[in-house]
Amino acid sequence: MALLIGFDLLDRQILDRDGFPVGKVDDVELDDELRVVALLTGQRAFGRRIGGVLGRWIGAAAARLAEKEPRRIPYDAVDHVDAAVHLSVRAELLPPPALEAWLDQHLIRRIPGAGE
Amino acid sequence: MKKFLGITLGILTAVGGFVDIGDIVSGSQSGARFGIAHVWVIVVGVVGICVYAEMAGRVTAISGRPVFDLVRERLGPRVALVNLLGSYAITVFTLGAELGGVALALQLLSSAPYLTWVPLVALLLWLALWRVRFETLERIFGLAGLALVVLVVGVFWLGPDVGALRHQALHPGPVPGETWATYWFFAIALFASAMTPYEVFFFSSGGVEEKWTPRDLVVARANVFLGFPLGGLLAFGFMVNAAVVYHPIGMRVDTLGQAVLPAGMALGELGIALIILGVFAATFGAAMETGLSAGYTVAQFFGWSWGKLRRPRSAARFHTTVLVSLLIGVAALLTTIDPIQLTEYMLIFSAVALPLTYIPILVVANDRHYLGDRVNGRLANLMGVIYLVIVVAAAVAAIPLMVFTRVGG
Repeated sequence: MALLIGFDLLDRQILDRDGFPVGKVDDVELDDELRVVALLTGQRAFGRRIGGVLGRWIGAAAARLAEKEPRRIPYDAVDHVDAAVHLSVRAELLPPPALEAWLDQHLIRRIPGAGE
Repeated sequence: MKKFLGITLGILTAVGGFVDIGDIVSGSQSGARFGIAHVWVIVVGVVGICVYAEMAGRVTAISGRPVFDLVRERLGPRVALVNLLGSYAITVFTLGAELGGVALALQLLSSAPYLTWVPLVALLLWLALWRVRFETLERIFGLAGLALVVLVVGVFWLGPDVGALRHQALHPGPVPGETWATYWFFAIALFASAMTPYEVFFFSSGGVEEKWTPRDLVVARANVFLGFPLGGLLAFGFMVNAAVVYHPIGMRVDTLGQAVLPAGMALGELGIALIILGVFAATFGAAMETGLSAGYTVAQFFGWSWGKLRRPRSAARFHTTVLVSLLIGVAALLTTIDPIQLTEYMLIFSAVALPLTYIPILVVANDRHYLGDRVNGRLANLMGVIYLVIVVAAAVAAIPLMVFTRVGG
């Protein structure tokens, strides 16, 4: 499938097969033949991509908040690309976003009514 | 029936979004100082928000995506990040002002100082965003906000000098004792209050949550073309009441109590009760919308799960953002800054940030990749470009006029 990485992939919303937001395409991973093998998402990948002081700051903040590596989504899991990148799998099968998990565990789930 | 209920989304956005603390303050102040010589600004503002909210609704109905989400794809991450910072700051600023408005309305009812109400109002607001089914709130506040109609009705009981009002409306410009600089300063504040950015974030995000499809476009347009003009009429109510009561005696409006008093003079205790109810509903509704919008902008930029229909545990980052934004708003009020002044500054800084919101919408609404053959037609683009010029002019002029007139003088 011929896609322009810069125009058709980067910064696009990733949705799982049920339409649940997974993240943005913050960066992509290429193989030696410059084929996209994986989508990278998360504030670390984002910070690294935009660079500069702000980028470093975002990346460092993400690292501090438990995000060790960007989330990697193999390109095989992509079903189709339109206004969003649609995956053929459900979000639960992917590595969970670190910040989401951390905030859920330390804040949100401790507040009554969070699971309803 | 379902369509009818769908329109309540528009009415809430209009009453809670169009009529909020910004309209109450800017409408009453300009009415007291200039009569209704600014009425054309309300008309221009209503048409502008209709033009751009229609685009935002169409983008959402066709692509299934909220507008802010698409901004990053089309502007690139760096420009979009600057946009995010600006939009978020203005939205939280507005949230603080709305919270202050709710607290002031409660002060009028209870005579307990508004600052004691701030933490309680914030807690109520957070509970509403956390637990209550949003549809229920939407209807309650949408309907209660309509109590502001007493303003428009009540003005006839005040024995208005129709000739003077007609003269003011037909001769836009400063009245004796005012300058063109103050006239334009208030014009920009009124324009910004009509076109506040969070309205479009909220409107298009609500559309995504309600899963609009191209078939819902009719309802989306009905929301826009009925809801916003109705909101504009209520905003005009504050202006015309102040114009009738305060302008002839050369008095200025500096408090919420002064803004609601004309309704009491016209319709007695019932009038006062209804208008305070209306102010409470409008500002609380707007506080809900700005609180959610603060979460929407950040979550949609980073691609997080978001939404008031998801349980909080499925959108932990979104709910944390909403909570933090609410705390920032409360902290701003607890500095004891006067909420009316906070609102004046908020409007001027909104005016500066307007292009950040509206330029990307015009770009996206012309993108066939998202909209296919439902991109802007000639009329939408003509209006869009005209308003872009107005929005940019207002943004450029806002700060110099604020400095020159010392925030209206």
